[in-house]
Amino acid sequence: MIEHINKQRVRKMLEAHAAGDFDSVLAHCTDDVEHFASAPIDIFPHLGRRRGKDEVRQMWEAARSRYADVRHEIKTLICEGDQVAADLRIFLRKRDNDRIVQYDLAAFYTLRDGRISRIREIMDTFDLVQQVLECDLSRLLIAETARA
Amino acid sequence: MTEHSLWRLSRALHRAINDRHFDALAALLDDDIDWAIYGPIDMFPFLGARLGKEAVLDSVRQIANNVHIRKLERETLMLDESAAATMVRCAMTTQESEKPITARLAQFMQFRAGKLARLRILIDTFDLVEQTLGHPIDLPRFGSLA
Repeated sequence: MIEHINKQRVRKMLEAHAAGDFDSVLAHCTDDVEHFASAPIDIFPHLGRRRGKDEVRQMWEAARSRYADVRHEIKTLICEGDQVAADLRIFLRKRDNDRIVQYDLAAFYTLRDGRISRIREIMDTFDLVQQVLECDLSRLLIAETARA
Repeated sequence: MTEHSLWRLSRALHRAINDRHFDALAALLDDDIDWAIYGPIDMFPFLGARLGKEAVLDSVRQIANNVHIRKLERETLMLDESAAATMVRCAMTTQESEKPITARLAQFMQFRAGKLARLRILIDTFDLVEQTLGHPIDLPRFGSLA
């Protein structure tokens, strides 16, 4: 059952990523791995599109320099053929003030010859920005709209 | 070969939002459905979590009151026996001003006896808010950046 094997591959990759073992994570990836997370890059400059192991490693290391104690819960894992989708709950601790950030993340993985060749992530970025900036953006925007 | 429940649900949801025909959708929702579309509920009250068929139908009615779907492009699709995951690029217009809005949605669905029992939708909501406002969000200069 290729689906079962591919789910296991993604689980192992996620465990290695949470542990900060990027050598192990990248061993599960193709040399030309592509990573894309939809997010405002002026707030999350380390996100955006990355191609190849070096760029992807730099992105993860940049994120790890800002956050510690990364862990995840897998809520749903679905696989069909060489594609795996994961509905994840992510937990992080901001290094500068120890505040906890938690958010849901949809991750779509494409595998080639047993290795991950493409990672596509979608998350509730508005909530994530609010947590990172530690402000109620909704209230500010509603007030701004009311003033206009 | 039996059609996967996703396809019936997809057609019914599209018809509910665009044509305001809710009967087919109601027939495909589990009575105890657990539904959540993550996003800022202060700005978009039809987002958020709902429990039970009536609450979900009410939420879909609110969505229909606010947007019209123009085009759905399914970029990724995975079907399990009783589950599905999709990544969809959705082009919409607002009912109020016909403003075009494009969003990429990640959807996770679980079915029970052919009916939708659990739904999770994730959207790049920061981009969605900026499109709705019609301008970039002017971020406050406090807190710590990522």
